[in-house]
Amino acid sequence: MLFAAGLVAATQKVDCSAAGISCQNAQSKNPILPTVPEIVWGTLAFVVLFVVLWKLALPPLVKLMRDRTERIANDLSSAEQARVEAQQTLEDYKRELAEARSEASHILDEARQAAEQVRQDLMARAEAEAAELRARNDSALQAAQERVLGELEGQVREVALDLAEKVVGANLDRDTNLALIDRFIDELNAGPTSDAGAALQ
Amino acid sequence: MIPAVPHLVAGLDFPPIGELLNWKNIGPGGFNKTALIDVLAVALTLGLFFHAARRKAMVPRGTQNIAESLIEFVNGQIIMETMGADGLGYLPFILAIFCFVFLCNIFEIIPIFQFPADARMANPLVLALIVWGVYNYAGIKRQGFRAYVRNSTIPPGVPGFLVPLVAVIEGAQRFLLNPLTLAIRLFANMLAGHLLLVTFALMADALFFHNTVTATIPIGVLPVLMEIVIIIFEVLIAVLQAFIFAILTGVYLGPSLHPEH
Repeated sequence: MLFAAGLVAATQKVDCSAAGISCQNAQSKNPILPTVPEIVWGTLAFVVLFVVLWKLALPPLVKLMRDRTERIANDLSSAEQARVEAQQTLEDYKRELAEARSEASHILDEARQAAEQVRQDLMARAEAEAAELRARNDSALQAAQERVLGELEGQVREVALDLAEKVVGANLDRDTNLALIDRFIDELNAGPTSDAGAALQ
Repeated sequence: MIPAVPHLVAGLDFPPIGELLNWKNIGPGGFNKTALIDVLAVALTLGLFFHAARRKAMVPRGTQNIAESLIEFVNGQIIMETMGADGLGYLPFILAIFCFVFLCNIFEIIPIFQFPADARMANPLVLALIVWGVYNYAGIKRQGFRAYVRNSTIPPGVPGFLVPLVAVIEGAQRFLLNPLTLAIRLFANMLAGHLLLVTFALMADALFFHNTVTATIPIGVLPVLMEIVIIIFEVLIAVLQAFIFAILTGVYLGPSLHPEH
């Protein structure tokens, strides 16, 4: 409403006398054709606007925008370069990590193989030593046993002969006696649970 | 002079059109409302750009944002679209045209002024003649006088027997009709908008304050609503006409810079 009222007032209250023309002249003017003062003011206004804009107002602003564009372009370029470098570093890192893993795995395999080899060697050596020791012990034991048995046989024979001589009171034929004793001992050896063996023990 | 008759009987008491367009002088040298709007348009544009240039912020805000948006708009949507990169040197010229035409138009809806300076033929005519001078000068400077006239009047590929006819049509368009249509389009659009606003304002005024039939007074709401719609429409027209004037300037400058097209 205020707008409409203002528009009505602005259009209906033209003071023709203040404009230096009669109302009749003003109304008879062709509303399409421009007046010379309007052309002059319009030309002056636009020329001033264009020249000042061209020479004074725009250059710093355009320079600022150009600088900003260059800076953003440089920043983007740097960011792209940094991204490429980071990517390269990441790939290097991944490659080195993979190599390290592979190498570690390789080393581990080698260590496992070496340990296995050492274990097998040790086992083989221990088994050999044990076998040798066992063989040596067996032979020593066998020898000792034979030796003990031999000694025992001699002593038993002597003791048996002495006892027999004492029992019968006569010195029997020695060869015959010894043959008897040997047979007796053989019987003992053949059956430790026999009466003769038990008596010997 | 239309004789006064009762409203709602003989229609609206519309003032003579001269009263809507011929403004009284308010200063020396025929300085009237139109000239005042011209000066204000210049002051506002320069104020905006000087204020924006003074801020120099890396991240634009406020007036700097508006000014930079205008520059990017003119560069991107007008110059690059019509002239290409060769036309970027015409930024101050086309930016000045766009801002000047828009501000002269937008005073149509600013209270107290309520008049678009471009509804007077002076501004559109002056701007069109300047554009005419600039694009002809640019063409002659770039191509030479003979080549420019030939390229402007004889498009490539025209059969020989059609050359005289086409040359007359193209020549008339390039050297006479282009500036004329440029001026008349702007002037007629803004004058029509102004007359529409005045019409509905007067209608509302007549129905509310000079109505002898009391029962019809509420009908005055309708022209008021229409006035609001037209005001919004006029904002759009102000921007659109400024854009059209600026882009046509680029379109006319294009062949001057690139005759091969």
